[in-house]
Amino acid sequence: MKYSVKKVLFNKQWIITLLIMIFIGSIMGYAATQIDSVDRLDAGTELMDMLILSFIMPVIAMIYGASLLRNEIEDKSITQVITAPLDRAISYLAYYLSLAVSLSIILSAICLVGWLAFFGQQGMGGDAAGILGAMIVLCIIGSLAYSAMFILTSVLFKRPIYFGLFFAFIWEGFIGSAGGAIGKYTIKHFVRSIGSTMIDYGSLSSYTEATAGTYATLLMVIVICLGLGAMIFREKEFP
Amino acid sequence: MNQQPVQPNQAQPVPPPPPAYAQPPPIAQQPYPVISAMNLCKWYGNVIGLNNLNVQIGEGITGIVGPNGAGKSTLFKLIIGSIKSNAGGLFVMGQPPWGNTKQLAHIGFCPDYDFLPLNMTGREYLKFLGGLHAMDKVHLKDRIAEVTDIVKMEKDMDREMAGYSKGMRQRLKIAGALIHSPKLLLLDEPLAGTDPLVRRDIINLVKKLHLEHGHNIIVSSHVLHEIERMTHNIVLIYKGRAVAQGDISEIRGLIDHHPHNIVIEGSNITELAKVLMDQDFTVSVGYKDDRNGIIAKVTKPDDFFDRMPELVESTGCEIDSMYSMDDDLGSIFKYLVGW
Repeated sequence: MKYSVKKVLFNKQWIITLLIMIFIGSIMGYAATQIDSVDRLDAGTELMDMLILSFIMPVIAMIYGASLLRNEIEDKSITQVITAPLDRAISYLAYYLSLAVSLSIILSAICLVGWLAFFGQQGMGGDAAGILGAMIVLCIIGSLAYSAMFILTSVLFKRPIYFGLFFAFIWEGFIGSAGGAIGKYTIKHFVRSIGSTMIDYGSLSSYTEATAGTYATLLMVIVICLGLGAMIFREKEFP
Repeated sequence: MNQQPVQPNQAQPVPPPPPAYAQPPPIAQQPYPVISAMNLCKWYGNVIGLNNLNVQIGEGITGIVGPNGAGKSTLFKLIIGSIKSNAGGLFVMGQPPWGNTKQLAHIGFCPDYDFLPLNMTGREYLKFLGGLHAMDKVHLKDRIAEVTDIVKMEKDMDREMAGYSKGMRQRLKIAGALIHSPKLLLLDEPLAGTDPLVRRDIINLVKKLHLEHGHNIIVSSHVLHEIERMTHNIVLIYKGRAVAQGDISEIRGLIDHHPHNIVIEGSNITELAKVLMDQDFTVSVGYKDDRNGIIAKVTKPDDFFDRMPELVESTGCEIDSMYSMDDDLGSIFKYLVGW
């Protein structure tokens, strides 16, 4: 797992992460110069919700998650794992945890950059630190859910990136933003619902609050994805 | 290697399958062959990987020989359980390999492809592998020192693998396969792409691994004479079938059942050619391209050599030289597979 985390964090995709950090930092830094300091907590939360929770999180999860296992299968470096006396389901869970931990670190770092760029100019006192803490927790919850989803796609499909693009942009992005009941069938919805119980600013404060059912459903999605993925990985041939 | 009579171009007798275990016994106590394959089939869509392969491999070094695409790598992948057979039976040390990940503790696999993480050092890589095999840190440290000494890589273990030569990577792959002290070591084309000096080193290493360290080794190659330098126990595979198996000297005996090309050079050879055509062991007689001699294709070389003095005397020809075009292991393989 340590090896996989290192591999995810220090591969060539770190350039994408760096560019995203610069993008988030620039937008939030610029926004901070345009907003009245009275609304700073609402505006800062709104920006982090819109940019990080709704957009960057599924995209980053897709970039890293859809390729992690598939790349190892393609370049045959998975040989090391499948020739070790480990139950393949355990290996699969180790890959999942590596991805979830890596995504949590990356997304938390992006949150921190955005938060510093905005609240560094608008003042870091008051509830600002609480917003950062809540956003990091939401990123960790989102990482756990998206990692389960995208690592499943990497054992299900030969070209998981296509499904990943559909899921990240069409399902989570477009459908998730659409009104009505269908928008509630997205991971983004569950994460934002949980967020509404933790943050009292921005549009999150008025979002549907999470109930025990919300947590249970999200947990069930994660468990089903992991169970299905582990089962497929266990029966998978590696020619 | 079993010592049953070698039968070319036909399947070996099907051995009885080992009984299934409720609790697998320790490997050392198993009375079964290291590998036992019965009518083993594997296909990838329309492509046949193995076609009713019947083979039994015992302890020691065994060479799997066959041209590219013969099914050598497919057999290895079936042995390590990375692919599943479509039909037939396969037992590795008495147990079926598919889904049997615990058995991988006793198998070391060195594939023919490159998969090493080049941004790691050799030592980091071996530590990583030791971790996958749940080796404790103290034991792992000692074992890394031991295997790096065996493969003679001590000086380069703290360098990134990106700077390794092909031979060094090959040696490190073997070290990786050895790290957990497996009973069975599978080396898939370990000599491919290496220079003659590295080949010599790897050949010596393979012999040493069996003689001094007791590993059972199955090594594949498409070059017969390389395998002969490592072992006399061979299995010839062609188009997914085992065309012959046994001791190399037994395989050599198969030549007698196949046409054998013998070059005869000298004077008044035409008369000899005419006489040879009347012999029951002669398949054909033709002139060499440079017309300095003839090439006689015979089925029983021993009979041919026995009769030659008499034939030479009766025709009055003078022989300058006489040699077999097929006096190497490569020709045996060509005979057996019908090339």
